[in-house]
Amino acid sequence: MTTAATEATTARAAVVSFDQVSKAYGDVCAVDGLTLDLHPGETVALLGPNGAGKSSTLDLLLGLRTADSGTVRLFGASPQEAIAKGRVGAMLQTGGLMEDVTVEEIVRLVCDLHPRPYPVGDVLARAGIASIADRMVNKLSGGQEQRVRFALATAGANDLIVLDEPTTGMDVTARQAFWATMREQAEQGRTVLFATHYLEEADAIADRVLVLHKGRLLADGTAAEIKAKAGARRISFELEGAVDESSLRGLPFLSTLDISGNRVRIQSHNADATVHAVYALGLYPRELEVAGLGLEQAFVAITEAEEARTAC
Amino acid sequence: MLNFFSWALVKLEVTRTLRNKKFMFFSVIYPSVIYLLISGTRNTTDKVPHTDLTLQAFFMVSMASFGALTAVLMGNSERIAKEREKGWVRQLRLTPLPSRGYVLAKIASAAMVTLPCIVVVFLVAAVVKHVRMETWQWFALIGVIWAGSLVFAALGVAIGYIASGDAVRPITMIIYFALSILGGLWMPSATFPQWLQNISEWLPTHAYASLGQAVEMGGSPHAKDVAILCVYFLLFAGGAAWLYRKDTLKA
Repeated sequence: MTTAATEATTARAAVVSFDQVSKAYGDVCAVDGLTLDLHPGETVALLGPNGAGKSSTLDLLLGLRTADSGTVRLFGASPQEAIAKGRVGAMLQTGGLMEDVTVEEIVRLVCDLHPRPYPVGDVLARAGIASIADRMVNKLSGGQEQRVRFALATAGANDLIVLDEPTTGMDVTARQAFWATMREQAEQGRTVLFATHYLEEADAIADRVLVLHKGRLLADGTAAEIKAKAGARRISFELEGAVDESSLRGLPFLSTLDISGNRVRIQSHNADATVHAVYALGLYPRELEVAGLGLEQAFVAITEAEEARTAC
Repeated sequence: MLNFFSWALVKLEVTRTLRNKKFMFFSVIYPSVIYLLISGTRNTTDKVPHTDLTLQAFFMVSMASFGALTAVLMGNSERIAKEREKGWVRQLRLTPLPSRGYVLAKIASAAMVTLPCIVVVFLVAAVVKHVRMETWQWFALIGVIWAGSLVFAALGVAIGYIASGDAVRPITMIIYFALSILGGLWMPSATFPQWLQNISEWLPTHAYASLGQAVEMGGSPHAKDVAILCVYFLLFAGGAAWLYRKDTLKA
């Protein structure tokens, strides 16, 4: 096999492939030279603050918008071709529902449109909407509507499931049931890509996390790797008397330093060494706490660092 | 079959249209009311210039055509614009349904509304205004007026894609009145000045009304009118399918 042929095989193996994709709306660059591959069976979380380009990225992925430059491929074909073949199921925040029809009717329609549909009853049950099957779609609550959208995204055997903020409007129980179902889908070898602003969801469910900021990919790895990248530990203590900032700045493995009054907060790549150095400075820290960084703080640290870098 | 057309979508579109009682009621009743208003004050033996049709018979076809046009044009454009805003069209674009499947389903479901509105105008004309014709003519008229309304159903879909939000209704109204009046649905175009007749002749509404009038006079529709309507249908339906794919409106 030649190198070119090997490359072609690799490209075909990727479920989603972005190559130098950019998209601007007027002066605002929503997606900026994005390059990434998703592989079969991965559960991937797409994280980013509001306006990071998550929804734009998903729109490009699904062919609802076209890129200004670069190429987007799904299963080695264009997004439209992949969708026409029924390989993709998607649940968008902006996806509305047909009016004047019942829940069962709309789900049945999407099952009928799918080349490899599941039985309507199964789809309703899995989405937890079997009990409201006869209700009119325009009389549903936000959480119920969200579940109907989920049913539409899983009406047939898709290879890729794309979810944009899927649990918005769901209560805690519904959210847990939702992710249990999603895990089942992933275990069957499906690729799941979801955008969320609940970082604990990304932490608990995704085996890969993409951090998007201003349309660019800031981090790509497991939740643990993202946390490590941001600075693994948080150290917090109080000092008596005046705090000498310059000596604290010189601490080893320091990634961030925050002083408010007597309270010092530090993020460090090596907490043991940093704490040791604090004592070595001759300081007597009180109420010392060392804690692991949650994905949320890691996320904030990564995007803030980027903000600071691009500001100057 | 799925790659071309979806019966499931047509069926559901028809079901929900029939559920919309208010829309059905007014679509069906409205052309008959206008027919009675327009033909009510006229003498029953007057003939329309250049034809041997009575005014009642002439307006029966005009108003059936006009009613069908109203139902498909107004109904389609507004509902589609609304569906785009609500994001249903975005959701539908994520299913394997091809764009022509969507456009064809919309046209087919609109046609379900036009059939009763044509039949009701005919019943009113026959019962109240004593319009008499051969049996074949009644059926042929229903057939051509029904088939012709598909052209405007396609136009309605296309408008639903071009316009959005508040602009849909005025845009539809302008196109609708311009086409109805200039095409001679409200008054015979033979009464227009020559330059206007020259324009009128090429409008889809004129060709549409001519189909019915040819049948009413005992002939078959002119090939030119049929050709004009076919060209407009392809133009509108093709445009609508293209716009469906291109649509980038965000909810």
